[in-house]
Amino acid sequence: MAEASALKKSLPKINKVDAPYWQAAAAGKLVLQKCRDCGKRQFFPRVACVDCFSGALDWVDAKGTGKIHSFTWVRVPRNPAFKEDAPICYINVMLDEDVIVESRLVGDSKNQVNMGDRVTVVFQETHDPTIKLPVFELMSSPR
Amino acid sequence: MRRKRVCLVSYGSTEYSRKSEESVLTHYANAIRQALERARLHKKEVRGLSITTQASPDFSPHVAEQLGLEVDWVLNGDYGGAGGVMSVRRAADAIECGHLEVAALVGGNSFDKSVAHQRPLEYQRANYVDVYGYGGPNSLMALIQRLHMETYGTTLEQIGKIALAQRTNALNNPQALFREPMSMQDYLNSRMISDPIRLFDCVMPCSGAECVILASEEKAKKITDKLVYLVTDAEISHYQVADMQPDKTTFGTKVVGERIFSEVRREDIDLLEIYDDYPIAVMIQIEDLGFCKKGDGGKFVDAHDLTYNGDFPVNTGGGELSVGQAGLAGGFLHIVEALRQLRGEAEGHQVKQAERALVTGIGWLNYGRNLGTTAAIVIERRQ
Repeated sequence: MAEASALKKSLPKINKVDAPYWQAAAAGKLVLQKCRDCGKRQFFPRVACVDCFSGALDWVDAKGTGKIHSFTWVRVPRNPAFKEDAPICYINVMLDEDVIVESRLVGDSKNQVNMGDRVTVVFQETHDPTIKLPVFELMSSPR
Repeated sequence: MRRKRVCLVSYGSTEYSRKSEESVLTHYANAIRQALERARLHKKEVRGLSITTQASPDFSPHVAEQLGLEVDWVLNGDYGGAGGVMSVRRAADAIECGHLEVAALVGGNSFDKSVAHQRPLEYQRANYVDVYGYGGPNSLMALIQRLHMETYGTTLEQIGKIALAQRTNALNNPQALFREPMSMQDYLNSRMISDPIRLFDCVMPCSGAECVILASEEKAKKITDKLVYLVTDAEISHYQVADMQPDKTTFGTKVVGERIFSEVRREDIDLLEIYDDYPIAVMIQIEDLGFCKKGDGGKFVDAHDLTYNGDFPVNTGGGELSVGQAGLAGGFLHIVEALRQLRGEAEGHQVKQAERALVTGIGWLNYGRNLGTTAAIVIERRQ
């Protein structure tokens, strides 16, 4: 049993704090938390604003676009279930909302990736039909 | 803060192994026993214990019971690679407050498969990093190294020079797992792990343990005539936490450095033991500590000799990169090596004028930024 589950790709262990984020992703939307009191946008999902500690956090849509802040090609994924995908283009994206998110670059053109390239979010299906992962693709238009 | 009356009086190191399945408790006991013998202390005099490991899920009081220690102070120093330096800070606080006179601090790792090992939750990594096919710390440090290279023009040769210097330092260190010379070609041609991180940017996981014994000044004077004092120390966790566009190439070490060097002068430091999970992490800490401007780490490395007999000795025993990383003992290795140097016991790799050492610790890569916890201590030999 342990071995069978070890061969599955990692999925989020969705909790009370971040359930709205994953519900939005399943519906094809990328959302961020925004503080109702000070206006700060933040990621990853938390229980309080990282700036003013307010608990009044709204979920707001992100444009889903940004640029490559840094990237690496993962040759040896920590979870062996990802081996079939290696090398994986693991990225930091600077969203147009000025928030850095960690993700993965997908799509046919990913081998051409460069620092600063424009990217757009797409939603990748997982082995759990209720969970989709926000990942990114290079935009075809010039940077 | 400035310390007045806390000394580092002894140390113990086990052999490092890539295969041994000896339990982490055995490694702890061996390291503590060696440290006690060196200081001619009886274990009953040790009234404080700090443990740091990922190899056992046991709570620190249970470990104290397993080791047969009745203690007035016990700690789980769960600060990752900063565990050593942070445990020294905590123990020094307790000693200065008068809670105890002697504390043993250990870090260790084991490949013992008989002990169930459950990883902590780490919500942000489980939900927002692991799901993308993350390649472990190698990948997160790769993002940082790429940014450093792109932003400042840092070259692989400059980063590799750190790995090479540390290898030179390891050649005469019997504890080191790697004691063959390394060339720049060896470094550059080593297998790509997570671009631009190569195999020789990475540490070799191994088992073993390190122990440091701290004591009040009064007690220290009865134990040893090689008095090594804790001079000053600082820490910060989650530097830039509220910044959603953090500078990944600057660690909290910047703040730690400002605090440390408000108490001592950079030019008075004779050697540096800098936490080296990767050469790029050493370069960034040299910058953050203010030995050069941010981004000039490559030029600094070009201009200085980092070997034990060079003008800027760093990781004089080879560091984790050449000695091996016995899990979270990695953060203790640097303290033990500094102590060995200041006591004049680093045979074959002894720095000539070793009176004052700076030791850093960095621990837990965090989401979208770099290091969760950063800390440093300065220790000094006084006659």
